Amino acid sequence: MLKLEDVSVRFGGLVALNNVSLSVGTNEIVGLVGPNGAGKTTLFNVISGLVKPTSGRILFDTHDLGSMPVYRRARLGIGRTFQIPQPMHELTVRENLVVAQRFGAGKLDSVKIDEILEITGLDDKSERDASSELSLTELKSLEVAKALATAPSLLLLDEVLAGLESVGKRHFMTLLKSLHERFSLGILIIEHDLETIASLCHRVVVLNFGEVIADGTPENVFRDPEVIRSYTGAEHA
Amino acid sequence: MKVMLLRWAVVVLLAYFFVPWLFGANAYLMSLIVASLVIGGVALAWALLGNLGGMISFGHSAFFGVGAYVSALLAINADFPIWLAMVCGGIGALLVSVLMLPTLRLKGPYFAIAILAYAQIFRIIATEWRSLTNGVAGLSSIPSLPAVLWWESGSKISSYLIVVTLVFAFILVYRWVANSHYGLALRAMHESEDATRVVGVNSTLLKAAMLLLSACMTGMIGAFNAHYINFLEPDYAFGGVWIVIPIVAAIFGGYRTIWGPLVGAVVVYLVDQLLFKNIFPSGHQIILGIILVVMILFSPGGLLPLLTVRTRKRTC
Repeated sequence: MLKLEDVSVRFGGLVALNNVSLSVGTNEIVGLVGPNGAGKTTLFNVISGLVKPTSGRILFDTHDLGSMPVYRRARLGIGRTFQIPQPMHELTVRENLVVAQRFGAGKLDSVKIDEILEITGLDDKSERDASSELSLTELKSLEVAKALATAPSLLLLDEVLAGLESVGKRHFMTLLKSLHERFSLGILIIEHDLETIASLCHRVVVLNFGEVIADGTPENVFRDPEVIRSYTGAEHA
Repeated sequence: MKVMLLRWAVVVLLAYFFVPWLFGANAYLMSLIVASLVIGGVALAWALLGNLGGMISFGHSAFFGVGAYVSALLAINADFPIWLAMVCGGIGALLVSVLMLPTLRLKGPYFAIAILAYAQIFRIIATEWRSLTNGVAGLSSIPSLPAVLWWESGSKISSYLIVVTLVFAFILVYRWVANSHYGLALRAMHESEDATRVVGVNSTLLKAAMLLLSACMTGMIGAFNAHYINFLEPDYAFGGVWIVIPIVAAIFGGYRTIWGPLVGAVVVYLVDQLLFKNIFPSGHQIILGIILVVMILFSPGGLLPLLTVRTRKRTC
């Protein structure tokens, strides 16, 4: 479904991504891990179109995303969340979803806003101001709900579990598994908690200094000496 | 819904029957009311771009002036019917705003300054293109507005009925946009443009649509004004007054509300002309300035939200 071929991003002299190639299949959950500054969020920005790659190709289904604008990628079915939640200010929770539903890909016609609110646990918060009346867990749920309301076929989840208490984490784990089963979504998820990645993902891609250093099943990847080195230092490898 | 219809019925009744009936005989008062509605129309168009589009413009004088000149020239030189000439005035302003589309890449004060520069360019063009605009000497004997019902062409009441209809049409357009899902997306874009783009909103197109619509509305009011005063010259048609007073009116009335700019224009202009000008014949605008500062400090939302809050509290 999603395929990146030798994608590089340079900000002046800084190489944020260096010849990154990876893929996410239909109905596949892929974890994207790596130390801080490895280029994970930059990769999400490149896929969603917020950052233009310096070189390389991004293919989504039959489309070459090239210099396709952000909104058209969303309409093709690429939904994403932000690491720091970005609710649409001045709108209620429901209005956030209305905007996402009306402008998004609109492929999952069976998904109604009330259903999304219920799935994400926001049904009793629907009339609240999205920017000022929600807790962190609720804001993260809203990020996922907005992405879902666009009726995506691929979800990019940027640290949706970060900063949450264990109850919130469990809630999200259950939510993501049920979303995957129910809508057959491809999911690319950035997460620091490796246990979560191991229990959730079919495959893991490890980035370090903008380069892919491992790609495979969680069991294999987490045993890879280079991955262990990148996380803990050479002496532990 | 019923309350809203009742409100509209009261406003329409007041505007179309009571105002002409009560003040129609007083030409001075009617001319003040028409002038306040002209400002209200520009303020509404300005607020549409400022509130929904999230762009503060210092360049609406360009649209006002271009609308005025296009309409006046078509009526004088090509014998266009006034109605058609006014529509063309709006379209002329819209086309001018197309030239300004590159400024949409700019944000905040940069957009405001860029569009101000455009406004100055059009004032200079109107001044220097003498073969078309007659330069600083301006255009005179611009055909008057058409007759309305039994009120003769160019009379205060017929002019009033035309401008009040234009302003009501603007409010309906504004309401339609604001209440649509485009309005939701526009409101959302102000502080979180990336968040709206990633859910499929073409933010550039929506902002451009607001600029074009706002320009067209301003151009039509400019065209109305040209046929109302029957005279144009560049420093008047493209003057700073069409930048400053509508902004003051919109902020005073509450530019985040649909009715605020209109209420602000009518209150600010009429109170200034009927009250402050009589008390302080020269320098009366100082009082307006002080009131505006006080309003911004104590009720940044403007007059209308202030009155709404007070009424709600009283009802509770």
